[in-house]
Parts: sequence; structure tokens; C-alpha cells
Amino acid sequence: MAERRTSISGLTDEEAMEFHKYYIQGFVGFTAVAIVAHILVWAWRPWL
Amino acid sequence: MWRMWRLFDPLRALVVQSIFLFSLAVLIHLILLSTDTYNWISGPNARAVVAQKSAMPPAVPAQTK
Repeated sequence: MAERRTSISGLTDEEAMEFHKYYIQGFVGFTAVAIVAHILVWAWRPWL
Repeated sequence: MWRMWRLFDPLRALVVQSIFLFSLAVLIHLILLSTDTYNWISGPNARAVVAQKSAMPPAVPAQTK
């Protein structure tokens, strides 16, 4: 059995990559919602 | 980029990030509510509108010949 690499956080490379995939999904979703919110507020009352 | 999760514990990072983003959102919303233009509850320039709501001047009696 191959020994898995350890890290400071305790995650293996595979676990880190898997978590990163979902983290980026959340980041993209959050950013998309924020962009839509800004577009709506700009349409309501532009701030520049 | 994924290598950052070898350094940072995901659970701790998510908790810290959640607290930070929620605090930032509350701060921004309170700042906007404190302005006249972007207060979405009391409406635009509510303070100015309230200031204009003064009593009407007394009616001028009709002139009699």
C-alpha cells in the first residue's frame, strides 16, 4: 500500500483537489450573485 | 491553487471566511441604510420629504365685494 503524503492541514493531494473543486464552485456562485445584486442596484440608483 | 488546502484547514478556513463575509455584509447594509439615497426601507430622501411635510398656511378668506 502506497503511503499517502501528509500536509500541515492533514489533507492529501487528492482531498485538497476535491475540496478545491467545490470551493471554487462556491466562490463562482457567490460572485455571480454579487454581480447580479450590483447590476440591480446600479439600475435602481447608479452611484457614479 | 489547490495546494493552499494542504496548508489551511478547510473547516477552519470556511468558518473564518463565513464570519468575515457575514460581518462585511452586515456592515455594508447598515452603511447603506444610514444613507438617504440607498435606504430601501424609508425610501429615497425620506428625511427631506419629512421636512417638507409642514402644515399648510391658513386659507385666505375669499374676498367680498
